[in-house]
Amino acid sequence: MSSHNSSSRYLAMSRELHDNLGQWQAYESTGHCIVLAGPGSGKTKTLALKLARILAEDVSAPRGVACITFSQECSRELVRRLDAIGIKESSRLFIGTVHGFCLRHLLVPYSRLANLGLPHPIEVSTIQQNRAVFEAVSVQLYGARNSYRQHDVDNHRRACFDRQSPKWQSEPELSELAEAYERELHRRGLIDYEDLVLYGQRLVTQHSWVLPIIRAKFPVLAIDEYQDLGVGLHQIVQRLAFNGGVRLFAVGDADQSVYGFNGADSSLLLELAARPDVQCVRLSINYRCANEIIDAAEIALGEARGYRSSNVARVAQVEIIHRPLGIADQARYAVEDLIPHVLSNTPGRQLGDIAVLYRNAEIGDLVAGSAQSVGLNFIRIDNAAPYRKCAVVSWIEDCAAWCSGGWTAAQPKLGGLIGRWCRFHSARLSDTERHHEARMLARFLWDRRGNGDASEFLAALRSELLDVLLSSNRTLNDQRIQVDAMSRALSPGGVLVGLDLVRLGGRDGAPNQLNLLTFHSAKGCEYKVVIILGLDEGVFPWSNETDDELQESRRLFYVALTRACDEVHLIYSGWSANRFGRRFDNGMSRFLKDLISL
Amino acid sequence: MRICRIRIKNFATFKLLDIRTDKSIVVVGENKVGKSNLIRALQLVLDPSLSDRDRQLGLEHFWDGLGDEKLGATVEISVWLTDFDQNPNLVATLADCIVAPGPPLRARLTYRFQPKTSLEELPPRSLADYEFVIFGGTDEDNTFTSTQRRQIPLDVQGALRDAEKDLSTWRRSPLRPMIEELTSELDDDAREEIQGLIAEAQIELADRDEVVRVAERIGGRLTQIVGSSHTVPIKLGLAPTGVDTLLRGLRILIDQGVRGIGDASLGTANLIFLALKSLELDRLVAEGERSHTFFAIEEPEAHLHPHVQRLVYRYFLANEIVVDQNPTDLTTILTTHSPHIASVAPIKSIVLLRYDQNQQATVGTSTARVSLSRTDKDDLQRYIDVTRGELFFAQGIIFVEGDAERFLLPAFASALGIELDMLGVSVCSVSGTNFTPYIKLVAENSLSIPYVIITDLDPVPGKRPLARKRIESILSVTENLDFSTMSHADVFEEAETCGCFVNDDTLEVELFLAGLGPAMKEILLSERNLQRATIARIDGWIANPGSLDVNYLLELIERIGKGRFAQALASYVTAAVCPTYIRRAIERIRDELA
Repeated sequence: MSSHNSSSRYLAMSRELHDNLGQWQAYESTGHCIVLAGPGSGKTKTLALKLARILAEDVSAPRGVACITFSQECSRELVRRLDAIGIKESSRLFIGTVHGFCLRHLLVPYSRLANLGLPHPIEVSTIQQNRAVFEAVSVQLYGARNSYRQHDVDNHRRACFDRQSPKWQSEPELSELAEAYERELHRRGLIDYEDLVLYGQRLVTQHSWVLPIIRAKFPVLAIDEYQDLGVGLHQIVQRLAFNGGVRLFAVGDADQSVYGFNGADSSLLLELAARPDVQCVRLSINYRCANEIIDAAEIALGEARGYRSSNVARVAQVEIIHRPLGIADQARYAVEDLIPHVLSNTPGRQLGDIAVLYRNAEIGDLVAGSAQSVGLNFIRIDNAAPYRKCAVVSWIEDCAAWCSGGWTAAQPKLGGLIGRWCRFHSARLSDTERHHEARMLARFLWDRRGNGDASEFLAALRSELLDVLLSSNRTLNDQRIQVDAMSRALSPGGVLVGLDLVRLGGRDGAPNQLNLLTFHSAKGCEYKVVIILGLDEGVFPWSNETDDELQESRRLFYVALTRACDEVHLIYSGWSANRFGRRFDNGMSRFLKDLISL
Repeated sequence: MRICRIRIKNFATFKLLDIRTDKSIVVVGENKVGKSNLIRALQLVLDPSLSDRDRQLGLEHFWDGLGDEKLGATVEISVWLTDFDQNPNLVATLADCIVAPGPPLRARLTYRFQPKTSLEELPPRSLADYEFVIFGGTDEDNTFTSTQRRQIPLDVQGALRDAEKDLSTWRRSPLRPMIEELTSELDDDAREEIQGLIAEAQIELADRDEVVRVAERIGGRLTQIVGSSHTVPIKLGLAPTGVDTLLRGLRILIDQGVRGIGDASLGTANLIFLALKSLELDRLVAEGERSHTFFAIEEPEAHLHPHVQRLVYRYFLANEIVVDQNPTDLTTILTTHSPHIASVAPIKSIVLLRYDQNQQATVGTSTARVSLSRTDKDDLQRYIDVTRGELFFAQGIIFVEGDAERFLLPAFASALGIELDMLGVSVCSVSGTNFTPYIKLVAENSLSIPYVIITDLDPVPGKRPLARKRIESILSVTENLDFSTMSHADVFEEAETCGCFVNDDTLEVELFLAGLGPAMKEILLSERNLQRATIARIDGWIANPGSLDVNYLLELIERIGKGRFAQALASYVTAAVCPTYIRRAIERIRDELA
């Protein structure tokens, strides 16, 4: 009679962890556990299996587990891993970002009970709305020519949760602007992403009656990529775990902390790991990179971590290439000479095995231009991408993948698509509503099996299903913007015009597409071959970076290097030009220099 | 966990019912007043076995008083839950339904049957334009799903249940899970042993000559009909032989195994059924299939002898007292019009339903929020037990101090042409002067039963009369007064406006002075041999009431016993000799019920 929504498949798979001491310790942990996981150390696999085990053995229905990830993409990857071990998302398993967690499990149910003073119902603002409010408020306060930027205000809000703190009061003008901005946003019935965490933190800090409720719902809280999550989540986590009795399972790597500019602080993870009531586990076997690459990466980082490759026999290549004609030449060389060479010298290698990494989208434009001129298929993941990945657009891509052939192999699964669709609704659906939604979606997708024009597909999906949802559920406002961007990109004049369903569905990277990514977007990814462009002092790092920024850039380089399994190609010119065309002969990147000197 | 409040709007006999409840809930009321509707209403919110179709109401389920305006009205039933903080499963289930952070946490679940939201402002044309929602908290979009309902289900045992049939149907039998558990726990050795024993018995029986002969006769006739090539070999034996099948065949037997349940009386079958059911509820909670059970039994008096009723329901209702029953994971809800059951109900569990002619609707009151001291509570509980819950079934109540008033009041009322029985008025003796807990129980904010109080002044020479403090205490239940500056006369005048009637001395003196002196003399003479001097004294009192020696009169009466004396005196009662304060009290309760 009792229903199982956990599968015992994890038991068989967990045997694979047995030979890795760190992974096994993490898997066997029973209290608070922090897993410090180096690159390629199988952290997501360990996390997924541990979650499966907790759901099957430690936590029984109706209680569950919440897993907080850094981004929608990370959530999606974790959902996929769990799906592979037979675990579905359900009311017992929350997987999402810290914003999603604060919204769904803290603010929606309890903000009114706690009189947090937020507008009701809660409506999350779009970036455009934020910008409009910010401009109105900053002009009103400090005139049209003021020098305050929204990013600084947001960072200030993210960094100081305690509004009584000296840090908040030390910048009176910025603080005043921040408070005026918040007031005006709330007056318009909106709250923004910073508010979600800010008020989530306030709720758990000031209203202790919430703690036992959260603990009852989620006796275990798992967190992925801890180093990239800011001080807000850190405070929420501490409160839930050390005052609320919620068991913590956090995974992260301080060396891969690259979101300092967004308020992340890698020291928070280490602070947590050093607590006496926390078991700290280190994963030091690298299943991705060959030893040569690990060594190079550790030199670049400037720290000896002692990570070892799981396969000592593997031979890897780290090549430094000098292209004296500048960054455009680096891009052309990579696309026209290096890539054909890399493809031909290893049998079976495909375009999808290769990634070109760079610091910013301008360099991405050059690479994209070169690739277009030689007719190379590519997929671009950076700020200049036609749309940003979020839950809804990822779901649309997966729907496209299902229709254009995925249905024959249940890859992705229809049930999963339906489940995600149902969860987009702000309210918990009744059984009848759920069946209705499932039927509508299943019919829509079934009728559109086969390859076709992605633009038509999206238009139909929007008019028949999606637009009703997007206009009724205010919490999806932000995602609606991305869906609009996707529509624009697919329509005449857009950058993706003419795209078919197969390619829309394969936009996560397909075997026949070259991957173009910024260093930041490459996080968590893995490629056989990594080509890094623009390793010139003044470009990477910038010429005026502070010590902290330099450290972060160094970690960024470390992240980029450790994406590679077998080959890394590092390209520089020794000079760079600013946007007015002025040339600076600053030599190669200091990070590259460190690498060469040893 | 418990239900702490129930609110019903526009459903069945209810226009608006809003009652507070305690751990157990015993719904008391006359037939047809809507006791079953109350259970039905709870089912709409909590019962996971109800289908969506069951939750799609018909017009007959709307409150009748709506008349032609049923279409367009909204039916709403809300249940507030509390005291679940200690059970994480319940907190997890109800986490999104919290309406008060407490402590203790309070959650609300609501069933609403309303015109479809897709109609927007258009009026519904028929019930096809209606939909139901069940949601937690205050947000209608926060659906409370069937998965959540299954964690805290309401199990209803109907009034006229066929226990025998349920027991004999394997699928529905509450015996089934116990036997399945037994089957799964048997190890191979035990199975083999049982198998062996049965096989032996089988052979023993089937191989007897008599049995073999019958089998042969059947076989012979088969061969005659279809010939030997189509005949199957026939043997007689006990039907099933597999251990699992055998165990499924286990039945409850009574009377040392001589008879099956089918031969038992309806009462016995019901009793066994309830015992099994109670075991099953324990098991479901223990196995984690649910976190709490609301167990509703409608009119459990059916088929049970009054003594057995009291025993059975004392057991179910005592769950809140007996600790080893794990008191918190079972809530018992009973509906009854049996005084036997009402009398064993915990004092705070009573929900009283009454039909209000003015509103054309059933209204409800409850005792859940009465604040009583431990002693008061025990006293009341005992009183209600002894009087078989008479209080709960009364339309009006006259509270008196003792048996003397209890015998005399109906006689005076009758002499005044007011029949207390016909009015449904009970005369309740509090055996003393501690009226306060009783008043708390029936006051406006509790059961709201109209009442009057008759009490003695009990003067004490040189001090405040005893009634003064007594009246202050009674009035404090319903009024908020500062007595410190009030004279006795003011206090007693105020008391009378509140239905509290105080005489000028004690009952017997009042009776004597009202003109019952000669009758009292007659009774004294018939019960005792009085000395001539005593008789003369009594005659003197009769002739000149001003000379009455109160203490001596009371002494004479107490020799017989006040109750016995009053019983005898009742037959002399006429309207003319009714003391004024008694007449006013009786008239007041009559007027209140009119």
